[in-house]
Amino acid sequence: MKARTVKYFFKQSTRSIWRNKVMSLASIGSVMAALLVIGIFLILVLNVDYLATKLESQVEIKVHLMDGLSENIINDINKDIKEIAGVKDSVFLSKDEALKKFNEELGENSYLLEGLEGDNPLSDSFIVTLEDPRLAPKATLAISAMSNIEKVVYGKEELEKLLNITYLLRVGSLVIVGILFLISIFIISNTIKLTVFARRREIGIMKYIGATDWFVRGPFFFEGILLGLIGCIASIIILGAGYYFIANYIKQQMFGLLVISLMPFKEVVYSLVIALIVIGVIIGSLGSMISIRKFLKV
Amino acid sequence: MLIELVNVSKTFSDGHRALSNINIKIDNGEFVFLVGPSGAGKSTLIKLLLKELEADQGTILINDKDVTRMKRKDIPFLRRSIGVVFQDFRLLHEKTVYENVAFAMEVVEAPAKDIRRQVPIVLSLVGLSKKSNLYPSQLSGGEQQRVSLARAMVNGPSILIADEPTGNLDPDTSWEIMRNLSEINHRGTTILMATHAKEIVDAMKKRVIAIEECTIARDDKKGGYGI
Repeated sequence: MKARTVKYFFKQSTRSIWRNKVMSLASIGSVMAALLVIGIFLILVLNVDYLATKLESQVEIKVHLMDGLSENIINDINKDIKEIAGVKDSVFLSKDEALKKFNEELGENSYLLEGLEGDNPLSDSFIVTLEDPRLAPKATLAISAMSNIEKVVYGKEELEKLLNITYLLRVGSLVIVGILFLISIFIISNTIKLTVFARRREIGIMKYIGATDWFVRGPFFFEGILLGLIGCIASIIILGAGYYFIANYIKQQMFGLLVISLMPFKEVVYSLVIALIVIGVIIGSLGSMISIRKFLKV
Repeated sequence: MLIELVNVSKTFSDGHRALSNINIKIDNGEFVFLVGPSGAGKSTLIKLLLKELEADQGTILINDKDVTRMKRKDIPFLRRSIGVVFQDFRLLHEKTVYENVAFAMEVVEAPAKDIRRQVPIVLSLVGLSKKSNLYPSQLSGGEQQRVSLARAMVNGPSILIADEPTGNLDPDTSWEIMRNLSEINHRGTTILMATHAKEIVDAMKKRVIAIEECTIARDDKKGGYGI
């Protein structure tokens, strides 16, 4: 493609965007709205993922042992646990240590445990950490099947809740994003339709003169992509600014209270900008292609 | 042979018959009038040559290329070898005379240097050098048709098709256009002109092909309009 042709496409498309101000604005607005929602969901999904991986790395299985096992048996159990697929580490916690830890955790309320020193109701246990938290149910099952095990516990509910939220968010965002995606494409294709209509005389003349198909289509294609890109830039600015302020606000308000924080701004912006530009360009080009196919009989 | 139609027929999808078994040969440098009543098939014939319509039967050769078998992507290049002017001029009103003519070179991606050289030449050929910065609305009908002639000629086509070029013009202006067409013909361009202008056809003494009821009724070397 010659530089002059690109210039011509650009000039034609910017001119018709300007000429169709109202429809162009509607297209840009709808792309922006779609991308805003897509962006918000993307930020949510990214953050839930971020949170989940943080929490997931903390998921551990507690293996309570039968009372009164010999050291040899305990060592054997430790060895067996470590051999289970997906197990990263297992650490022995004696019942005395467990009571001490419990005591510490209760703090002021530790008087509740008074008198138990002589008759410790807790059991010896292993704290098992995993390579992948999704392996927890399998590992739990495998450990339960071993002998001399009293009970196996893991933070099943919390993890499952989180995994469920992530899943719901993904599905929900896909549906909404899909709908908005289609709406934006429709509005853009309508805008391009107006341009095609406004320039139909010119298009007719171009055909007689011997312009190639792509030369006739070029400006319309450009226009769609331009509309998509402008909407995309607007949404990126809004999202970026919004995220920056919210993340800062949370940091200030909840400092010390929350161990978990939002993803760092820089990481979010990077994935966001790339995703939104790609989606914006796809929306714009699809919208113009539909119109070109339908209304631009070359 | 520049244009050759062999047994060409065209029936529209609604069953309306437009052309039936047409055979025409037009040589390089000829000036040919295409006459006949409205609806006889003149426009259909022109559209077949430009591959705006597809023939149902027969072969159409232009510059030894088989138009009927031409691929879609080659159509623009066929049209670059054929200049076309219409009854209604079809100029772009927001462009000046110069820009309207230059536009024809821009859409075929001619180099800017060639555009700057070629446009003034064709404008002087049709006598509009002094009006190159005016808009079509500031010109008379005859002048507008000359702009469209210049636009049709600027890429140097070997054939010029004129579909009732004088249909909207008064007799005097019509003759100006005919002088321009003769000049273009003398410079070597083949001209095929569909027309209803009896006086012009009779006075020019050129080849006349008459189409009546979808077939060729007459093909005279130096004919008149007929009845």
